[in-house]
Amino acid sequence: MNEQLKTDPTKPAQRMRAGGMTLSLAPWIIAAVAMMALPMIFTNNSALTIMNQMSITIIFALAYNMLLGQGGMLSFGHAVYAGVGGFFCMHLMNMSDFFATIPLPILPLFGGLFGMGLALIVGSFSTRSAGTVFAMISLGVGELIAASSVIVVAFFGGEEGISGDRTYAQPFFGVEFLQQIEVYYLTAAWVIISAALMYLWSRTPVGRMANAVRDNPERAEFLGYSARWVRYYSFVASGFFAGVSGGLFAINYEILTEENLNAASSGIILLVTFLGGVGFFFGPIIGAVVFTLVQTVLSLQTELWAFYAGCLFVATVMFFPGGLAGLIMMHVPAVKLGKWKLLIMPYIKTLIPAAIGILGLCALVEMTFHYRHGATGDNEMTLFWTTFDSHTLMPWLIAAAVTVIGIGIARMTAPSLKEAWDEANTMGGAS
Amino acid sequence: MDLILVNLIDGLVTGLLLFMLSAGLTLIFSMMGVLNFAHASFYMLGAYFAYSISLALGFWMGLLIAPLIVGVAGAMVERYGLRRVHQYGHVPELIFTFGLALLIEELVQFIWGKNQMPYDVPDILNFTAFAISGNSIPAYKIFMIFISVGIFIGLLYVLTKTRVGMIIQAALSYPRTVEALGHNVPLIFMGVFGVGTALAGVAGVIAGPVLGTFPGMAFVLGSIVFVTIVIGGLGSLWGALVASLLIGWITTFAKSYNIEMESILNGIGIATPENMDDNMFRDFWSLTSPQIADILPYILMVLILIFRPAGLFGKRTQ
Amino acid sequence: MSVPALELSGLKKSFGKAEIIRGIDLDIGKAERHAIIGPNGAGKSTLFNLITARFAPTAGTVKLHGENLAGLEPFQINRKGLSRSFQITNIFPKMSVFENVRCALLWAQGYKYSFWNLVSRQRALTEGADAILEEINLSARRDIPAGMLSYAEQRALEIGITIAGGANVIMLDEPTAGMSNTETDYIMDLIMRVTEGKTLIMVEHDMGVVFGLADRISVLVYGEIIATDTPERVRADPKVQEAYLGAALEAEH
Repeated sequence: MNEQLKTDPTKPAQRMRAGGMTLSLAPWIIAAVAMMALPMIFTNNSALTIMNQMSITIIFALAYNMLLGQGGMLSFGHAVYAGVGGFFCMHLMNMSDFFATIPLPILPLFGGLFGMGLALIVGSFSTRSAGTVFAMISLGVGELIAASSVIVVAFFGGEEGISGDRTYAQPFFGVEFLQQIEVYYLTAAWVIISAALMYLWSRTPVGRMANAVRDNPERAEFLGYSARWVRYYSFVASGFFAGVSGGLFAINYEILTEENLNAASSGIILLVTFLGGVGFFFGPIIGAVVFTLVQTVLSLQTELWAFYAGCLFVATVMFFPGGLAGLIMMHVPAVKLGKWKLLIMPYIKTLIPAAIGILGLCALVEMTFHYRHGATGDNEMTLFWTTFDSHTLMPWLIAAAVTVIGIGIARMTAPSLKEAWDEANTMGGAS
Repeated sequence: MDLILVNLIDGLVTGLLLFMLSAGLTLIFSMMGVLNFAHASFYMLGAYFAYSISLALGFWMGLLIAPLIVGVAGAMVERYGLRRVHQYGHVPELIFTFGLALLIEELVQFIWGKNQMPYDVPDILNFTAFAISGNSIPAYKIFMIFISVGIFIGLLYVLTKTRVGMIIQAALSYPRTVEALGHNVPLIFMGVFGVGTALAGVAGVIAGPVLGTFPGMAFVLGSIVFVTIVIGGLGSLWGALVASLLIGWITTFAKSYNIEMESILNGIGIATPENMDDNMFRDFWSLTSPQIADILPYILMVLILIFRPAGLFGKRTQ
Repeated sequence: MSVPALELSGLKKSFGKAEIIRGIDLDIGKAERHAIIGPNGAGKSTLFNLITARFAPTAGTVKLHGENLAGLEPFQINRKGLSRSFQITNIFPKMSVFENVRCALLWAQGYKYSFWNLVSRQRALTEGADAILEEINLSARRDIPAGMLSYAEQRALEIGITIAGGANVIMLDEPTAGMSNTETDYIMDLIMRVTEGKTLIMVEHDMGVVFGLADRISVLVYGEIIATDTPERVRADPKVQEAYLGAALEAEH
């Protein structure tokens, strides 16, 4: 399932292509062109805001995966490196004399340096070991810094945080970053640069050794590398890119608060990265895009979106530890064998009923929630464009029936899907 | 002197409460090697279940039944969740318990809503036990002390004097050997997980009325519990006890004595700067001990990690 | 006589009250092939772990080319030219066979913790790794994850990783454990080839391998070396026969 966390002998090597002599440029060019073109398709400001949010999350999630996916270090407090980098950028914005001499696009660099500085200090004692101890230290340090933000008002601005104005910077080739679209392109440029740098990092000696240390620290030590130093380098690099994302956050929102530091933010980035898939470089990118979209769309539709996100997360950890990227890469063998077409019909037969069944289940959940917490007398609720009375029997029966039938059909067709799957992944044979 | 006594009692209550959580967490950790991030969530579930039960059957039935439900829920989580994730390794296990903590918090909000529950001290215990020079000590605090000490004595007895306890102790260090001797180690794991979470449940039942029963209660206490076991040394029960009491007392004393950073700094011979408003360290100068009481455990943890990485009672790890 | 490659003096190790290694003095010369044999529980693996600083000794010293190794970490010892394999296969199972070997070459080729070189652009690195794959006969398996290799292949890879860094003192912990006869011959032949001109110290149970490979043999019994000599003389030593070898030799002849 997940080559990162477990070896599955039935899956071919996915990492091996990294050993090749060519670094394919194609995905990067496509990504750059797509980022250039997107604002022409989605022109309104709220779409730009979402895309900016996505970009910032992509950098942060990739930085986070340098630790989790590539270095095997689970951090529960990584938001502080992004947050502190962001706060520092905010202070730079408010130092008007200095700020007027630098162009805005290089501001995230300072955020990165500050995030890196903090990582240099914390990493010196936290990277001594990986695993549980590292996780606990990251949590403790994260909480410490988040809690100090209310006390150290001079730096963190207390409860209301710190705000600034990005337009005071020196104009960059005449651009003053008054408009959202200008900020979009600034952020997009940083995403491409940061992602490329992080990708290249994973191809350097220290990046390769990070994988080795993750898999088997003891063996790495007997190859001349100190596991601790390898982890330390990864940690510092990750702190840098987290700081860059914090700097971009500062430019975009022009305000930072305690929320940028706290455990909830750290938890979300873990969730994003894991949903996307820690085993592949592009996993966190998918995670960031999907999560931001889901968050935006679902949070408008339902109060319970965090509940669904939690369910999805736990289900991912239990059943698809490779995340979305893992699911995608599972299909590579079938595509290579040219048998992926065998899968289309079985997928339709199983996944569509399953999706309908899950929607029915969600309807039941929503109705229960409305029944328990709706204001007294307010019995009407709207679900899937239908308005009905949640205190009558009929909607419950319908939702329950949809759930049972949908999941029932999915369960009935699941064996044939499995058969098709095995067939599609077997070499030769009738096609 | 009298105030010190009052604070000692208050700190003891907090410390014992922490220990009730950190003991279960330590047991689970040393046996299965997994740090249960959702441990404090079971504490929260204990409080909520007890509240719901107390509405129908009263406080005492809540105290009796809620921990049992929590323990069973914990055992189920181990059996159907953790055991499945175990094959992927320690990091996914940790991520799983983290996800579980998120999910339980959302679940609690789903069932009980976001507001604090009116879960109160039972009338029979709602009186002043005694007073120390004007500071009244509520009977409920004494009750909490008795309950927790009682449970520890019971736990200690089971662990050291009974056959089951012997097997558990052996399974802590040599799970494979114990398995080879014909004991059902998965069952022992499930049992220990259940008992550990049930302990957290008890803590929730008795802490709910004083610390408040609200969806954030797991996180508020949870991160302190993790800090506690890191300070005590991962996997050491004695370390957990000492660290729990230490943190209980430190935070209580820091809150009740208003020590100002300025007087400390002046005391060691550093003069207060004249122009405080422009000073970079103005926040540092105006610090008071109640202000930083809540972050003292974290500071203590960082110091311990720097100077004694294995924790107070931890075995030196290579 | 020149400085021995490895020199152990008064080496002791206790776990709690149990003394596992009870004072070992041993010199192993340059380019010598030395085997350590002994019954189960004699402390052979513990001795290996003491030499490579996996455990800290209770007393005594280990010297590599005359240099005291006390207080050094495993990775520092490795950098001084001592490399070891493990009794339980210890590779990077999720990385490709090629990458396993390449990682073993990184430090030796001086890349250290660099993050300004791309590994795929380093011709010497790629060629070096491929040469070692050729040597251990795994070129055909180059790009599959190491965890998918057969057991014998994994052991071969383990040896490949161990020698890749160009260390001049190689320590192998039961390289043929759990292998069939043909596999054993293959590994033995491999060891002969790759340790040419290097100091080899190995723990081994298979007497055929030991007598076929070793220049000298030390017999370790209950944490003490009762004999160190050439294979013929060890075979003839009554003490050794009494303690350990008798039955095995009877079976062989």
